[in-house]
Amino acid sequence: MPPRILKNLLAKVKGKGDKNITRIRRRRALADVAWKAYPRLQLLLFVIGYVWLLTIPSTLHGQRTYIDENALQPGQVNTNWNWGDVQRADRYLEHLELMRDRNASSHETATFISNEFRKLGIPSSTQEYGFLTTSGVVSGTNAYAVLSSPRASGTEAMVISASRLSRTSEGDGTPNLRGVATVLSLAACFKGYSLWAKDLVFVISDGYLDGMQAWISSYHGVTQSNLVAEPLQLSSGIIWTALNIDYPGHSFSHLGVFFEGLNGRLPNQDLINSFQIISRHTGGVPVLVYEHIDQNEFPDLVPDLVPQWLPDGIRRHDTTKEYAYRAQNVIRHVGYQARGRASGVHGLLHQFHIDAITLFAVPAQGPHGFHAIGRVVESTLRTMNNLLERLHASFFFYLLVGSTTFMKIGSFLPAPVLVSTAMLIGGMGAWTRARWTRQEQAEYATEKGEEDRDVPAERWVERSRPIVPALFVIVYTHALGIVLFHLCTRPWIAAGGKVSSSTFPGMSATNGRQLASTLLFATVSVAAGAGSLLARSESSSTKSPNYMILKTFNLCLASTVISVTSVLNFSLAATLAVFMGLPLTLSVPSRSVTAGLAKFALYTLFALGWLLFTPGEIAQAVKNWEILRVWFAPFVCIVYTPLVLQAGIICLLRP
Amino acid sequence: MDFDVVFPSLVAGRLLLAYTNLPGALRHDHQLSTPLTSYPRLQEGLYLFHNGVDPYSGGLFRHSPLLLSLFSTVLPLNRYTSPLLWTISDAVAAWALVQIWRARQQLKSKSSRDSLIAAVYLLNPYVLLSSLALSTASFENALLLLSVMFACRGQASPTLLTLAVTTHLSLTSALYLPPLMLLLFTSPVSFLASPRPYPFALQDILKKIAPFVAEYAVYMAVLTGAATLVSGGWGWMGKTWGAVMTLPDLTPNVGLWWYFFTEMFDHFRPFFLMVFSIHLAIYPLPLSIKFQHDLLYAAYVLTGLLATFKPYPSLADAGLFVSMTALFPETYAHMRTPFPALLVHLHCSLLLPLFHHLWLGSGTGNANFFYASTLVWGVGMGLGVADAVWSGLVAGVKGGAKKGGGDLAWEEWEITQE
Repeated sequence: MPPRILKNLLAKVKGKGDKNITRIRRRRALADVAWKAYPRLQLLLFVIGYVWLLTIPSTLHGQRTYIDENALQPGQVNTNWNWGDVQRADRYLEHLELMRDRNASSHETATFISNEFRKLGIPSSTQEYGFLTTSGVVSGTNAYAVLSSPRASGTEAMVISASRLSRTSEGDGTPNLRGVATVLSLAACFKGYSLWAKDLVFVISDGYLDGMQAWISSYHGVTQSNLVAEPLQLSSGIIWTALNIDYPGHSFSHLGVFFEGLNGRLPNQDLINSFQIISRHTGGVPVLVYEHIDQNEFPDLVPDLVPQWLPDGIRRHDTTKEYAYRAQNVIRHVGYQARGRASGVHGLLHQFHIDAITLFAVPAQGPHGFHAIGRVVESTLRTMNNLLERLHASFFFYLLVGSTTFMKIGSFLPAPVLVSTAMLIGGMGAWTRARWTRQEQAEYATEKGEEDRDVPAERWVERSRPIVPALFVIVYTHALGIVLFHLCTRPWIAAGGKVSSSTFPGMSATNGRQLASTLLFATVSVAAGAGSLLARSESSSTKSPNYMILKTFNLCLASTVISVTSVLNFSLAATLAVFMGLPLTLSVPSRSVTAGLAKFALYTLFALGWLLFTPGEIAQAVKNWEILRVWFAPFVCIVYTPLVLQAGIICLLRP
Repeated sequence: MDFDVVFPSLVAGRLLLAYTNLPGALRHDHQLSTPLTSYPRLQEGLYLFHNGVDPYSGGLFRHSPLLLSLFSTVLPLNRYTSPLLWTISDAVAAWALVQIWRARQQLKSKSSRDSLIAAVYLLNPYVLLSSLALSTASFENALLLLSVMFACRGQASPTLLTLAVTTHLSLTSALYLPPLMLLLFTSPVSFLASPRPYPFALQDILKKIAPFVAEYAVYMAVLTGAATLVSGGWGWMGKTWGAVMTLPDLTPNVGLWWYFFTEMFDHFRPFFLMVFSIHLAIYPLPLSIKFQHDLLYAAYVLTGLLATFKPYPSLADAGLFVSMTALFPETYAHMRTPFPALLVHLHCSLLLPLFHHLWLGSGTGNANFFYASTLVWGVGMGLGVADAVWSGLVAGVKGGAKKGGGDLAWEEWEITQE
């Protein structure tokens, strides 16, 4: 027998009389509650979603990193790298510095490197390549060598690479001479031991990113319409892991780890964690995420992100500093991942299912040099040498908020998904509102020819929902986006001014580009505004207004885009949630034409502002699309901009 | 718009698309074609056949010997003929769909909805992409629609013959036999709003159906004989029809079977294979009885069920169900969840390729990702089918209620149904 309270409660819930009628009444009451509460629910989801985004850098989230794959056993070996190898590296460096000082051509340097490999007894070769882009031809020569594994059949390989230009300031032209010297000397060292179970491929790629893109594409036999590259003469097996060495300074204090790949792909976390443990315990070098100095290591340091005007008590509080330190890392990460950029040469390898990171020797007065970096790289490679299957155990979806702290997908993914759910609810609400409208009872009664005095003054009536005009607007704006993307890849916008001076004679390069961007901005805005004519038909009591239908589709599409992208590229989804979540929800038409136009202008600025304010970004994004196939540029033009423009068009429609 | 203009231009546009570079990228897609319908496998089988190797001796080729004989003799497949053949098949299917619509509305000539119906089939992304990927499911769809069309016209022999050929290509199509045979006796005209019993005495039903079953059996026997002659043995049966029963190839697809049987211990396999197969066979009879006033509608609901639950489904099967929805505008007003179903489909059609890529392309995901998205897909299809059944039944009650007691009767009915 259940207790009396329970029985009473059940009786109350079930109600009296026919239980089916009760059930239907209850269902209707629930639907009523849902209908009344949905704006509040939407607001709640928005608040939770946005607050969640803000709490990501806080200490509420995050856990310590750990090694998941048992085969790795990081740091369990005695390394063979010794002072003799350091001296050899110094000699290579002298040669390379001499060649730099006499401005040796890239081909000459590549030949020198290839010859040095050959002198060590390792088969080597060079590869010339050229990319044809909007802003001109990018060409160079790669050098590479393949050390066959003495213990296995050469079906698997690891890559040790260094690009000729360092990643300092995202490839500003600082040479990576010590990185190249390290790789050459490592090759000499590794040649002497028979413990390798995988082929070792040494790659010295030209330029910053372009050389490796040419090499890795040729290695996998991928053709790219704008790339002309020599076929590779030497080949090896499937590449599982890769380490890229970036050592631009004289000495270094920390090793920074860079891990973001093209289009937001990340390497397996086991690779980062193994490197971190080895560097700390075998090499004695502390590890940083990027080159951000950890405030835990230097208690007096206050991260730049903490505002100066805060009182010292708060400014120097541990919680504030930790939040700022993590926020710095998250912002840097989002900056790379959302734009689909690689944070170093390693990022190009991810597209071929290779787990790769860049070790960045943070330039400093000391105390570390070739000795430390050599040991760390050797030990990390030997750890990866243990693998019997690809890295799969640890995480592929994570946020590395500190060098030993990370967030699992479950602790950050819900934030953008909640925002997108709020948008979805808004869209479904608009769809329902489009169907039902309040009508004065008198009017209704005359329509129906009934005379009933007891009914309330108003009553819900159904309307038809014509979807075709809204669909036209959607197709139109996305088509406009395709045209916009096509125009953005033309030289006068994307080439950063090189070509525009010839297109617009008598004008400086920057002015020419500015003029072109402004013209494009104006044209697209006007064209988008004209799109509103497609759905400007009158609404009536039997037909819902077009803006509601358009708003439904707009919100549902945007919500789908955000929630689907969140799995592929969290940073992009979070950015979209911030830029589209509230703005798209708030779009409504105005009664006055001026107010409507003002709102439309605001949305246009939101959708196309990048054309006016970020010329460098456009050039970079287009270049990344053309050389590296990063889909950020087409995504913005064909998905983001049209969605925001649709919200603008809603403001122009009749209420 | 005029059907005579719209239809040829749609087909022409479709043909142009088939000759672009796009199809090459789609051919290996797991969502658009299954091991039973994949074009590369068909080519492989033809190659083996030409070189004197029994294509059914390996585990790769699972197409019907009828396709083998057709494409190795009269209709050679190459990069010029294949796009044309698949376009013709789509055009035939769309034409048949329009004919079904006309039969349902008892129109002798054109109607304003013809163009819309043809467009709904030819522009349906599920149908279009599968057909661009040269999946042989396009032929199955076209043949099935032809069979339904003949049944609507009351032409018994063509109906049974086309259905027998469809069955040869895909065994699950045999389940359409009950609704289609009964459709031959009744009318394709919509009786959803005014349900009525079978227009003949139930005692006679066996006597009426027996000749049809016999005719179907004869066609099947002849086709089976021909197939055996062509392939030179009985080996084809286990490889083609047997695959539907025993699921030997666990290549991922949008269906619900593959992952289940990947994870299953071997000693449970026969039992669950039986359960899953019998589950499919449960539907045709109840549907034919419940919708005895409108058997075309029963066949329509069955397409949705099979697209969700059959052993090797692809998006082409779902596309057939979605496109056939255009035939029943009288049910739209009674649908309960059309918008959520649309949203689920929107999410799925992005999630399926994305998770497929994360698992097999970039390698950051695993099979569970794709499986999760196929479950969402199952939910989306389930919503659609449940809504089709609901709106089909409610149309009857609401129609009856209008004649009789008005809103009150409707409320009572809703209560009894709940």
